[in-house]
Amino acid sequence: MISIMAIVGFGLAGLCGAYRLLIGPSPADRIIALDVTLMALMGAIAVDAARRDDPTNLIVLVVLAIVGFTATVTVSRFLEHEQSTKARPR
Amino acid sequence: MTIAFELLMAVGGAIALLAGVGLLRFESSYARLHAAGKASPVAFLVTAIGAAGLIGWEGSAYLAITAVAMVLTLPLGVHLLFRAVHRTTSGSHLTIDELAAAEARTTTEQR
Repeated sequence: MISIMAIVGFGLAGLCGAYRLLIGPSPADRIIALDVTLMALMGAIAVDAARRDDPTNLIVLVVLAIVGFTATVTVSRFLEHEQSTKARPR
Repeated sequence: MTIAFELLMAVGGAIALLAGVGLLRFESSYARLHAAGKASPVAFLVTAIGAAGLIGWEGSAYLAITAVAMVLTLPLGVHLLFRAVHRTTSGSHLTIDELAAAEARTTTEQR
């Protein structure tokens, strides 16, 4: 029963992140919203694995933690590069 | 003991919900990054501790690897995003801007 509450909390956090992902004014807002949505998904997977006492799905979490970080770094460096080429045209 | 671990997972869900609400409600990009970037790793850490108590050794090992990777990588990504926001927007509304001062100092030293 309590773990259902945890899953509901993660689901609502994922919905908040998805809404900010849709309306976010700047690309940085969208990327951090994607991060929060991913974190909510990972937390929900962990709670679900604990509820069913089945560690099969947990390897997905390891992959998601590393791949999500790559997306954040790539987009932030892209934003900086775009700004620097716009400021100083060659 | 089981109820304590389940309560930890529920607390993690509540912290994640706080991160989502902060992401929705705050006004500026800096405030949204602050809310989401600091609450996210804590929410997952608390949930991972709760889940590791319930799931046994193999699952605990996976959860430990994930928690370490998340704590190492997520603040790094958020820090890079902060810097990208600082460089792509005008910082005129900031009262104290130490990054702009440091970057100006670095460019004058390079010349």
